[in-house]
Amino acid sequence: MTGFLAFAQRQRWVWAALGVLVLWVALGLATERFSLHSVSGVARSAAFLTFVALGQMFVIATGRGNIDLSVASVVTLGAFTTVTLADGDDARLPLALGAALAMGAGVGLLNAFLVVRLKIAAMIATLAMGYVLATATLIVNRQVRGFETAPLLGWIAAGRIGEVPVIALVAVIGVVLAAFVLNRTAFGQGLSATGQNLRAAELAGVPTGQSIATAFVVSGTAAALTGALLSAYVGGAFLDMGAPYLLQSVGAVVLGGSLIFGGVSTALGTMFGALLLVLIVTTMQIWRLPTGAQDVVQGIVIITVLAFAGAGLVRRARRRG
Amino acid sequence: MAGPPRTAAQAALADLASPATAAAPVVALEGITVAFGPTVAVDDLSLAIRPGEVVGLVGANGAGKSTLMRTLCGATAPDRGRLLLGGRQVDFDTYGPREAHASGVRIVWQELSLCGNLSVAENVFIDRPDATTTRFAWRAPYRRLARAGLDLVFPDAGIAVDRPVEELPIGQRQMVEIARAAAAPDLAVLILDEPTSSLDSVRSRQLRDHIRQRADAGLAVIFISHKLAEVLDVADRVFVMRNGRAVLDAVAADVTSAGLVEAMGGSAPAPERARKASSRGPVQAQIDGPQVSPLGHAVQLHAGEIVGIAGLEGDGQKQLLQGLIGARRRLATGSRASDAAYVSGDRAREGVFALWPVAANISIGRIARRPGWSLLSRAAERAAVQPEAERLDLDTGRFSSNILELSGGNQQKALAARALATDAPILLLDDPTRGVDIGTKRKFYDVAREAARDGKLVIWHTTEGAEYRECDRVLVMAAGCIVAELAGAEISEERVLAAAFAGRQAAGETAVTDKPSRMRRLAVTALRNAAMVGLVLVCAALVMLNPLVASVFGVDLLLGPAVALTLIALAQMFIVGGSEIDLGVGAFAGLVNVVSATLLVTAPLLGGVAIVAALGGYAVMAVIIRLRAVPAIVVTLGASFVWYGLGYSIQPAPGGSAPAWLRAMVDWSIPGVPTPLVLIVLFGVVAVLIHRSRLGTVLRGFGASPLALERSGWSPLRYTVTRYLIAGLFAAGGGLAITAMNGASDVNAGAGYTLLGVAAVVLGGCRLLGGVISPAGVVAGAVTLSLIGALLGALGVSTDFNAAVQGLLMISVLALRAAVEREEDST
Repeated sequence: MTGFLAFAQRQRWVWAALGVLVLWVALGLATERFSLHSVSGVARSAAFLTFVALGQMFVIATGRGNIDLSVASVVTLGAFTTVTLADGDDARLPLALGAALAMGAGVGLLNAFLVVRLKIAAMIATLAMGYVLATATLIVNRQVRGFETAPLLGWIAAGRIGEVPVIALVAVIGVVLAAFVLNRTAFGQGLSATGQNLRAAELAGVPTGQSIATAFVVSGTAAALTGALLSAYVGGAFLDMGAPYLLQSVGAVVLGGSLIFGGVSTALGTMFGALLLVLIVTTMQIWRLPTGAQDVVQGIVIITVLAFAGAGLVRRARRRG
Repeated sequence: MAGPPRTAAQAALADLASPATAAAPVVALEGITVAFGPTVAVDDLSLAIRPGEVVGLVGANGAGKSTLMRTLCGATAPDRGRLLLGGRQVDFDTYGPREAHASGVRIVWQELSLCGNLSVAENVFIDRPDATTTRFAWRAPYRRLARAGLDLVFPDAGIAVDRPVEELPIGQRQMVEIARAAAAPDLAVLILDEPTSSLDSVRSRQLRDHIRQRADAGLAVIFISHKLAEVLDVADRVFVMRNGRAVLDAVAADVTSAGLVEAMGGSAPAPERARKASSRGPVQAQIDGPQVSPLGHAVQLHAGEIVGIAGLEGDGQKQLLQGLIGARRRLATGSRASDAAYVSGDRAREGVFALWPVAANISIGRIARRPGWSLLSRAAERAAVQPEAERLDLDTGRFSSNILELSGGNQQKALAARALATDAPILLLDDPTRGVDIGTKRKFYDVAREAARDGKLVIWHTTEGAEYRECDRVLVMAAGCIVAELAGAEISEERVLAAAFAGRQAAGETAVTDKPSRMRRLAVTALRNAAMVGLVLVCAALVMLNPLVASVFGVDLLLGPAVALTLIALAQMFIVGGSEIDLGVGAFAGLVNVVSATLLVTAPLLGGVAIVAALGGYAVMAVIIRLRAVPAIVVTLGASFVWYGLGYSIQPAPGGSAPAWLRAMVDWSIPGVPTPLVLIVLFGVVAVLIHRSRLGTVLRGFGASPLALERSGWSPLRYTVTRYLIAGLFAAGGGLAITAMNGASDVNAGAGYTLLGVAAVVLGGCRLLGGVISPAGVVAGAVTLSLIGALLGALGVSTDFNAAVQGLLMISVLALRAAVEREEDST
């Protein structure tokens, strides 16, 4: 048992994985409606969330409570951009997808400029950015002509290989890539150092500004990609379609075991966190909980997990530091 | 340095030291044991101190001095042992900082524990809230107390008691801290932990004289310091700790510095080493610009030499080092030719990465110098840093332990290994031996010398006189400039001090206070009062577009929506004052809006209970944020879903009506005065009163320096909950105002207020890092923002752009403010 606890201390994704397992088994036993089909539905929803959450994880890793509050607006604007430009034609897809991703990266760069250069607190900068983008979306919304999805993007978002949703495979590739970058590159180490102690990282020679900027660009791009894929899945774009992803992306990162104060991040954990969160929502839907109650439960779950997990490590570090 | 004559006193004290003739000890620690997990910090230690005794407590880092003192003043409960104060045994379950103060035990901590954002007088209040009980004009007595305290210890210090402490130089801050403790009434035991670390020799002398004087009057003093000469000068008795145990307890007159060092576990000081002048290599760095004006020529630093940076505390040494670190970007203050590695003595803030093991802490220096995409192998990194660790006698067997499990000295070694492993040709050492034991210090000297022999340029900022002798050259700084350059045999502590004092005097005579241009000052003032300026501009624009706006009816109409925003912005302000942010404040106001327009109308009692319960939710949030150390931003984001979900469950679609009494509260009017204006001013005044009150001062103190407040015995939990309840009340008021003004409710009504509230707080000039808030500014900001909507309407701009304009306005104000602050820093 102590061996397991020590293992869980190092591999912080274990708790989220256990949570997924327990909830899955419980659901399987409790209801017959929870079929293989709904499993792939859960996997698909979790995959969309995983993309946004991976980006959010990079921003949270930069520490000092940094969070990207603009992801919701970027998801929405990404969807609008893709739908408007692709117009249901595979030939125009590279242009549309490229524009959406460039928009996401651009927003990330702008966020980074506000945070790194102008030294505005990340939450304020991204909060304001979110509102500016919301206005942009309102304007784009007036221009939207069609609701046609490019078939190729539709296949990635909604298609399957055998029983496995394509999007889930793409998400797993994203997770592996993120884990590799975090653990095996100089950038990943520098990011962790930046998140733990910005001043010390700077003095140790870490290009902290670059690290933080990269994190915001990753977050913006990931959110825009999610928006593009989501538009293909639901067959269009609508206002506020990104709204749920704000709390859920932070929730997935935290549930997964990454430290909310930065410095320690786990991509695998973020994936399990996303899966867990989607399972919880699915459970509530199976129970036919009203929408309002679902919001309440989600909020409470995230606060509770934050209160009982992860904080201990930070406290210890603070006390001794 | 001659101490006061003490021959007679020493004889008497020698008697005192023997227990047979002892007066009753004022404080007695008996068999104290404190363990942190497997590490025993204090091991079965006893120490009794009699009135009038000055005990010099010395020991290497990690010897357990600080832990012992924390036990004595109620910050740490021991695992075993007894504490007797004035002969009475203390119950550790109820013994905290407050109780220690009440028993006359006071400590001046090593890291200063003043609130930077509060004035000197307010800091005295934080320390001694019971000194007066007046509620109004309560600052005046504390001003007097602060002045009296400073004059007592440091005559003619000339520190302004109304200035925020953060604007004082560090030496003066230390003086305030010492004076605050020394002037406390009923003081029985005064503990000074490294009190002279930031004091120049004159102030240090004044302090030691004061200690002797107070001791003669019966005060017991514990003087902790690594400056052994000062300890032997001031103490009657020295008490040496090593590995948590007492190893020496003797009359100070019988002990020498060498003896103390030996007892602490260091080897006896090495004899003056014969050093041959190092061979100078090529120029690696150059210092020029206004910093070298007293010398009249640029200073060139060569490979292969150790260059000391010395001077009195706070005369620009640190800035010079930091300038060299950034020199590649800003060539104004100097330049360097190659990569530089930095070792700071401020380990916690500028050194360690607390979540990492030792190995990662060392190798980050190498890794950081590679491009981001380069791949890493942990084993290879470990192997690469191993030799440097061994060179510093750092146990490589502990490479996998968390860095914080090492002692301070070993942490410092790891940081030095980090710098050495980078292969950077320049080493910048910023007081690297601060607070480390003598053995580690010696190791540092050897390593520095070795690095210089290997052709590195070592630039060494030191505060310890003895370290000057390790340098080939010493640059003496005064008032931000290099005033002297000493080399070889010229280097001595006396000459450094003489040069520094002379330099300060010269600087004082030719003091050119460069006044910022009028334009700049205007810009700074305008930005600081962005909200007021914005308010005037927006009002002027509105009146120009439509003169009817200036009528009572016009103001009434325009300001109606501003009432709710004012309240919500004030709620956000109190949260921001604690350096947090509430992302759920709008949703909370929306929930109160819904409850007050539905339940409160149909079932007033139930509605009232629901609102109180929601406020309870704010208290619960505060408890979670405080006790579990979770960031407020995520908790309040989660809570926003709870508020919204609850509101949605009660009333999914807009509707409801305002209770009659609530309508009545906004439906009255004084002829000629717009009602909303009266309400806004009223709420503003309430916020100002809270802000200026004793409670508000404590809250501001917590916002900027929670640790300082905790050490003065204030409960963080209690005040976090209070702060959130105040915010919750204002936010709930905002929700009621929405109901009263609209006569209906909509769960989405509150959503937009979150950004607007933050924007108002930003415009109002509050500091987002906490501690500095301005209710008047926030009110002005809130009114400005709600008028902007009207202005855009009057200009014929679509309401789509409202959010974007408000967001951009907030960003531009913050950006301009940051730009101005940066410029101020650089001048």
